[in-house]
Amino acid sequence: MKTRLAIVLVAAAALILVGCGGKGGGNTIKIGMLFNMTGAQASLDAPSANGANLAAKEINAAGGVLGKQIKLVSFDGKSDAATIGTAATQLAQTEKVVAMFGFSDSDMVMAAAPTAAKAGIVFVTSGATSPKLPDQVPDYLYLACFGDNVQAAAGAEYAINSLKAKTVYLLIDKGMEYTLLLGKYFKERFVEQGGTVVLEDNYQTGDKDFSAQITKLKGQKAKPDMLYIAAGPDDVGTIVKQFRDAGVKSPIMGGDGYDTPLLVQVAGKGAENVYFTTHSLMDPKLGTDAVKKFIAAYQAEFKVPPENAFAGLGYDTVKLLADSIKRAGSADPKAIRKALQATKDLPGVTGAITYQEGSRIPQKGVTVILVKDGTFTLAQEVVPQKVPQP
Amino acid sequence: MAMSTRLQRLIPPAVMIAALAAILGATDLVAGDYLQRIVIIIGINVILVASLNLSNGFTGVFSLGHVGFMAIGAYAASILTLPVHLKAVNLPDLPGWLQGVAMPFLPATLIAGLIAMLVAFAVGLSLMRLNGAYISVATLGFLVIVQVVLVNWDQFTRGARTFAGVPAYATIWNVWIWAALTVYVVWRIGASAFGRDMRAARDNEIAALSLGVSVIRSRLLAFCMSAFLTGVAGSLWAHFITSFSPKSFFFTQAFSIITMLVIGGLGSVSGSVIGVFLITVLSELLRNAERGFDIGALHLPPIYGASQILMAVLFVLVIVFKPAGLMGGREIDIRGILRRIGASRRGKGAA
Repeated sequence: MKTRLAIVLVAAAALILVGCGGKGGGNTIKIGMLFNMTGAQASLDAPSANGANLAAKEINAAGGVLGKQIKLVSFDGKSDAATIGTAATQLAQTEKVVAMFGFSDSDMVMAAAPTAAKAGIVFVTSGATSPKLPDQVPDYLYLACFGDNVQAAAGAEYAINSLKAKTVYLLIDKGMEYTLLLGKYFKERFVEQGGTVVLEDNYQTGDKDFSAQITKLKGQKAKPDMLYIAAGPDDVGTIVKQFRDAGVKSPIMGGDGYDTPLLVQVAGKGAENVYFTTHSLMDPKLGTDAVKKFIAAYQAEFKVPPENAFAGLGYDTVKLLADSIKRAGSADPKAIRKALQATKDLPGVTGAITYQEGSRIPQKGVTVILVKDGTFTLAQEVVPQKVPQP
Repeated sequence: MAMSTRLQRLIPPAVMIAALAAILGATDLVAGDYLQRIVIIIGINVILVASLNLSNGFTGVFSLGHVGFMAIGAYAASILTLPVHLKAVNLPDLPGWLQGVAMPFLPATLIAGLIAMLVAFAVGLSLMRLNGAYISVATLGFLVIVQVVLVNWDQFTRGARTFAGVPAYATIWNVWIWAALTVYVVWRIGASAFGRDMRAARDNEIAALSLGVSVIRSRLLAFCMSAFLTGVAGSLWAHFITSFSPKSFFFTQAFSIITMLVIGGLGSVSGSVIGVFLITVLSELLRNAERGFDIGALHLPPIYGASQILMAVLFVLVIVFKPAGLMGGREIDIRGILRRIGASRRGKGAA
């Protein structure tokens, strides 16, 4: 027992020494990167981290920022709030980073951003789309992606103007903040434009059987023109498949949770006539020039094409921070924040970023995608006319 | 003579309290936020694991649902302490009498613990009649029920949405006072006649019954006390993390606590403390090491997830070589250690 304990202690001491080694030199600018490389969030966060690393590599190859190299100091959040809080503390206090970014989920962002704010440095979330986030951490929390109110409004306007829908069936996952807000904003904008919701129903993340919801929908006298289903990436395939198998042929629409290969893999032919709003169309042939260039670089670096739009978001976030540091003229956290707020028309893979005076959510265009013959195709780029209040 | 034995009896707890206070004081004054966070996390985990030991270790009621009580404690306390202006924004549908309440930390934590205990009593009345694996499955069911209630009770919990804005009241001091109290209570219960009743009921139910031990009563009492302490830990956790949602209190959290308990040793309070300490510190070290490092010319790239794999391997090894956990149901005998130190000193003095 005693010898074993001694072995454990010696091993621990060795690890401490190792953990302390490998500090960066003076000629680098350290930026903190927090993603969940393992756990429930990994499918969104790992591509984001790849994108971010790619951007840093490109920036450094082109001479860095202000004559210095950028160093992304990274920890694995492990999809666990306590670990994330600890890692954020390490970044702010031990590593003394000048800015932090990461995460695709509001809970995860909320575990890290207050620590950054306390240390006086900005936290830019690459993929958490809740427009309620910035108010929770005054002054220091920024979104690099659009808010859910923007994508839901874009979806509602596209439904009314292009799909000519007047009535909608609404299905919302009650188990996630993301889907709850998305459904709420869609309804608000859809009704505002004269549409009606014929039936509103809900389910829980991870439900596998939707026959109850389908039966209720089929029992409606007036058939809705379309369905809006606010679902997360793990559920979209199953839901779409079951509704289609039950003979529901109307267009189905959703948010960026649909931007996953699982949609077509699970739903198969059922995915036809499905529309969704997302950050950009990641297609080597149909995408914009910036997207094509990004896909080629990503493919060359990681030997796989970008898994989803979150790869592009991670890439854009690092470019956004680098641009702010450049315009700030120094790596002082206060100056970076001021420059970040003044960002205007910065081009990116997922659209140009502009922060309006007083807003920490960028104005960005929304890409509407239609699934056709098993592939994602561009339906339209939409800048919504009016956006619901967060 | 009588006086001196009484004094001697007071020495071990006094030494321990002094040592603990010295360590905490040093951490509070000298260490940075990072180390302080780790110390707080260890403290909260000590409460969670030691209180779970009361039920799972002493009475053999292997509960998988204690995180449900942690969730109840976290939500109840946070609703009570949330500042009034945030209540208006985040929880607009709260009943009027709660709307204007913003309690201090201690009463909120106590109420949260009591609510968890009441729920445990209601659930335990029927569940404590079950045995073995049935009780584990039933408590797991309880955890799922808590989860569903939290997600659907929007009025109080914001449903699945993040519950944010909880004041960061948890400090090294209040967390560790609760932790020390928990360890003391659980240790005293374990050493009492009541604790022997619990173990008797665990080891041989029929024999215990024949000796007049009320199995259900002792199980229920242990379950309720354990739920109270777990609820308290939930409140401390909530005021440490400050923003959370129902999914924070589910299988991942449940199994992480159970792992620490089993590694430390079921039925041993010192085992609980050792288990928590070892696992928290080791996983923290591995988490820092998995980011990759340089040894001389050798550069190791980051291997994310390696820490979890190594920890899992370690758990398997412990279970294979020490199936009863590191302490195997025994306690560290502090009095014995002190006596031995005293004896060797006296021995030297005589020589």
